[in-house]
Amino acid sequence: MSPRDPSPGAVGLGRRRFLKTATAAGISMALAPLRSAYGQAGAPGDAINVALVGLGAQGRVLMDAMLKIPGVRFVAVCDIWPYARTYGQRYLKKNGFEVRAYENHQDMLEKERDVHAVIVASPDFWHAPITNDCLRAGHHVYCEKMMSNTIEGARSMVRTMKETGKLLQIGHQRRSNPRYLVARNRLLGEAHLLGRITAVNGQWNRAVSADLGWPNHTAMTPELLQRYGFADMHQFRNWRWFKKYGGGPLSDLGAHQIDIFNWFLDTTPSTVIGSGGRDYYEGHEWLDNAMVIYEYRLPDGMARAFYQVQTTTSAGGGYFEQFMGTEGTLRMSENPKYTTINREAAAPPWDPWVSRHFLAPQKAPAKSDDDSSGGSEKVDARETAELAGYYLPVILTKAIHQPHLENFFNAVRGKGALNCPADEAFKSEMAVFKAIEAVESRSLVTCQPSDFTA
Amino acid sequence: MTESTNTQSDCGPTLGVLLLRAWLGVRAVLTGIEKFSDTRTLQVPLLDAAGKPDSSGAVVEVTQKFYSLHSYHAIPDSMKDKFAQEPLLPSLLTTSYYAVLGWALIALGIAVLLGLWTRASLFLMGLLYVSLTVGLILIKQDAGVAWLAIHVALIAVALSLCRHNRFTLTRS
Repeated sequence: MSPRDPSPGAVGLGRRRFLKTATAAGISMALAPLRSAYGQAGAPGDAINVALVGLGAQGRVLMDAMLKIPGVRFVAVCDIWPYARTYGQRYLKKNGFEVRAYENHQDMLEKERDVHAVIVASPDFWHAPITNDCLRAGHHVYCEKMMSNTIEGARSMVRTMKETGKLLQIGHQRRSNPRYLVARNRLLGEAHLLGRITAVNGQWNRAVSADLGWPNHTAMTPELLQRYGFADMHQFRNWRWFKKYGGGPLSDLGAHQIDIFNWFLDTTPSTVIGSGGRDYYEGHEWLDNAMVIYEYRLPDGMARAFYQVQTTTSAGGGYFEQFMGTEGTLRMSENPKYTTINREAAAPPWDPWVSRHFLAPQKAPAKSDDDSSGGSEKVDARETAELAGYYLPVILTKAIHQPHLENFFNAVRGKGALNCPADEAFKSEMAVFKAIEAVESRSLVTCQPSDFTA
Repeated sequence: MTESTNTQSDCGPTLGVLLLRAWLGVRAVLTGIEKFSDTRTLQVPLLDAAGKPDSSGAVVEVTQKFYSLHSYHAIPDSMKDKFAQEPLLPSLLTTSYYAVLGWALIALGIAVLLGLWTRASLFLMGLLYVSLTVGLILIKQDAGVAWLAIHVALIAVALSLCRHNRFTLTRS
């Protein structure tokens, strides 16, 4: 069984067209079409029947997050690897769900009649075929990023979403994280804390790690692997490093952060240059390390955004997205310990925003008795004055993927809109593809606004 | 004319000692009360400009100061650890000292403010600051020693002006 090529299905009442119709009819724009879509699935009450496709590391993370969400009822799991499939089935049984297990999604779609939503966490090259089939089968879909390992695959997902009118959320989970929402909407938007943003940088550095293995007795036969497009067991377990299946580190790690560049700046890049290569690992196809520079034409002027992803270093300062403006700097990270906010000495006071709890002053570190260095003294006369430090007091008490999944399930119930629908995610998808192109061609790649529209 | 001049010249020391009592009393009372303070972190919804919960559902951690008998701490833990390592400060002595320090500051501060046995109260307050000085000398906190020396000097001035003391609840 090979991935089916996505083909346009019957064009029904598109989501946007339906919204307009609903508005004209005096019906709530946000709720009516979504309730209608959910109603067609025939769900009793607020419970949502969920099938999970892909039980690898990311699928298990999502499964754990969903187990904490009230009203989510697992009915089926799907994975080509019997070892993972059995794990998922047993794990869910321990948590109170008797689920049916399938080797492939097509078999699952034929036999499961009471599924309302499908969560897709397969290797990237299967995202588009599985998502398109599920949407056409009438299900709402939450699909992990990257949307696809090809531009055409990602584009087909947006088109299918529009054709079917079903919901398609892409797993850029930061977009539902209240810490990121407050940073973007309140600090940058309402308070305009940073002044004019002139530079951005982000990074995700990781230490060297060994390739993934597998228990010998769990290995799949070559026939089974090839039926689903995998060359062998090693490539199946380490698909992220091979071009046939995924997009490499710029896609796996960078996509999340490049998405934040676009989302926070509220636009897409105009150019990108890059450098990177396969310098360390033997037997991988994708680059180990990459550094790229985007140019963003903002309403106030040009901003340049540097991004690096390195898989052969130590953690090296962790992972973050940093926005630097004329009046301050915001360093965001999913990990609060890497999140900092600094005010330039000449910037207007931030007290009004402190009093509204948008941010809070950092406590000055206790000075040790024998500190005679005068820590804040300049060592060079050209240094800018030391910045006042703040932190983001917003907390997330849930697993980092849970708010994004909750947003998806709420949208399925008709309670609000998706935070990252496929057409929005496509913009970031394209920015990543452009960066990969720049790195591989070692040239300046120009982006047109039309590139970011599916 | 001469009588009027004498009255005016007597007014200065009276006001001076009153000011010293006010400063020393307030200083001691508030320092004692602060030993019963602590902070706690509350989780509250982030509000928008209209005072309604933010659409993101964000929850913020807010630090709030409060006072309670259970929060009593005579001195910071870091300083307590240093005193514990001093052979000249036996734990039996420091434990009792910690137990009364906050209450003693409040009681002596109130006494000085109200003018209750002013001389005795000022003298005891001075001794209390001297006792604190002993600890700071042992752990080599010279800045703290100098700071306490200013307090003791102010008490000495107040005591020297006590014959001009007015507005008191007791005569001495």
